[in-house]
Amino acid sequence: MPRSSSRASLCRRSFLASAAASVLAAPALRAHQGGLRFTHAYGETVLPAPARRVVSLGYTGQDMLLALGLAPIAVRYWYGDHPFGVWPWAQPYLGDARPVLITGEVSLERVADLAPDLILAAGSGISRAEYEVLSRIAPVLMHDPRHSPYGTPWDVETRIVGRAIGRENLAEERIAGVHAAFAAARARHPDWAGRTAVAAYQDGGQTGAFAGEDTRARFLAALGFRPPEALGRLPLISGFYAQLSPEDLSPIDADLLIWISSLARAPDIAGLAMRRTLRAFAQGRELFVDELIAGALSFGSVLSLPFALKALEADIATALDGRPWTPVAPSVAAGIAP
Amino acid sequence: MRTLPLLALVAAAAALSLGVGVRPLSPGNVWQALTAFDATDADHVTLLALRLPRLAAGLVAGAALGIAGTMMQALTRNPLADPGLLGVNAGAACAIVAGGLMLGLRDEGAMAALAFPGAALASVAVFALGGGLRGDAGPVRLTLAGAALNALLLSVVSAILLIRQETLDVFRFWVAGSLTQAAERPLAGMALVVAAAGGLALAVAPAVEALSLGAALARGLGVRPGRVQAAALAVVALATGAAVTVAGPIAFLGLMVPPLARRLAGHALRAELLVSAAMGAAILLLADTAGRVLIAPAEVRAGVMTALIGGPVFILIARRIRPGAMA
Repeated sequence: MPRSSSRASLCRRSFLASAAASVLAAPALRAHQGGLRFTHAYGETVLPAPARRVVSLGYTGQDMLLALGLAPIAVRYWYGDHPFGVWPWAQPYLGDARPVLITGEVSLERVADLAPDLILAAGSGISRAEYEVLSRIAPVLMHDPRHSPYGTPWDVETRIVGRAIGRENLAEERIAGVHAAFAAARARHPDWAGRTAVAAYQDGGQTGAFAGEDTRARFLAALGFRPPEALGRLPLISGFYAQLSPEDLSPIDADLLIWISSLARAPDIAGLAMRRTLRAFAQGRELFVDELIAGALSFGSVLSLPFALKALEADIATALDGRPWTPVAPSVAAGIAP
Repeated sequence: MRTLPLLALVAAAAALSLGVGVRPLSPGNVWQALTAFDATDADHVTLLALRLPRLAAGLVAGAALGIAGTMMQALTRNPLADPGLLGVNAGAACAIVAGGLMLGLRDEGAMAALAFPGAALASVAVFALGGGLRGDAGPVRLTLAGAALNALLLSVVSAILLIRQETLDVFRFWVAGSLTQAAERPLAGMALVVAAAGGLALAVAPAVEALSLGAALARGLGVRPGRVQAAALAVVALATGAAVTVAGPIAFLGLMVPPLARRLAGHALRAELLVSAAMGAAILLLADTAGRVLIAPAEVRAGVMTALIGGPVFILIARRIRPGAMA
């Protein structure tokens, strides 16, 4: 039944869109109908009612939906080898749902075939043209207009999803829970406040650091850390990372240097000769983060952030204990400890 | 042949490669780094762990591509022949990416071993497609065959990327070459391969020149065309495979260098090969050094720099070819 009824609404929508008068007629009609209004980067979207059949095209949208108790009918594959593209921190919320996995470029036909009543495309990187075609299939939500395509803060995004599926109270509850977890961590480690910390990567011979609107940079900020000043002087690419010259890694020489990596790539970090000139290396203030926790930081969602916090809190404390000789377990295991 | 200016050019390129970068190094630093190396001194590490391997990689890959380009142009009598444009680079890169992923290889040495069959298959394929086996590898036909093969192989690399998102870092290196990962590459081994390819090139050079007079005339001079073609293709595959292993695919270098070398060396293939090796190394080193400072602290990959210089050169050469000419 939901399938055929949304097919009917699909016809009505495409009629409205093809009437080309959507600029004039549609807002009037929508205002008349009421419904849920969302202003986003590509304009305004109105949902007639809270959504139930949601196709999640953002790379991390599944986490928010699952956290609010609604399994998406389709999930966008980002990376990693996890069933349905749902990582371990979100698996318990999946239940017996079997979402379709959308890999690579988004096939518009595939999305239409799923007959969604909402397409969640915040953090998907789709173009305005794709947005317009998708909008003929179902209402589409893009990222918040105040942020870059991948830069909407997790709490803002969770709140939007909560409204779109009619679970605003639950969303507020979940958000408050995560904020409380970070506040508690800050209270346990008052010495972290104001110290510098940076999340860096080493890929394909290129060293870089996450900054600005990036989830990993925000995670560190939420614990009271601030980015190193030299990093702030580097130009940001896409608003969330900076590339370093292989001859000068000093912008990441922070009080806490976190390597976002995987065990398979640990040798690339271990072999990075310039790293040995950093004070963070000499004083054992580096923390290696392997694939699962790196994924949790990269997702940066209402579900993955508390998961990452729980996994990393003790190791961060060890790295920052002021005693260079205490081994930071993950860094030792990865073979990058001094 | 003007040997002295050529050696001076290579020496100047090498000096710039060691001396220029984000981190300014004084001659004193350089001396200290060489005599009393300190792994925690950023200047020393820059010189010995970053710039010296880049210099070595530039010499190896540049010389290899100079040799490969000259041999390809001599064999096909096509001034547009270049291991990058004709898909030989792409063949090596594709073999490394596809083979490396499918076999789950992470070892650089094993990955490098894939470059050679990849380069060999691609060079035989483009030569056969371009009509080279029948001795009529005209510029247009061969260039078209090469462009098609190049596009096909690079699409395969792109397809692998789309399916496996985590391969993005691997992909970046194998699509546009650079010297940044030089320290992790098997430099000494590849230097030997390039030396062997160079020796083979010098040995078959007279026979390749005879072949350029036409297959029938060459046979009359006691040359066996099939063998000579096989040896010349082996030179191309060995030199290109080694260059790709060390620096990834570097486009246009094998295109630009031979015409310049011809001006210095005249139309004697042996001299041209030697000059090409030196000039290839010098130009690649200069491209890498320029890419290092152009948008510092970020770097422009050497493969992108050679493409920037080589694109206009390609158009210049293509405009000078007359329809039907064998150049």
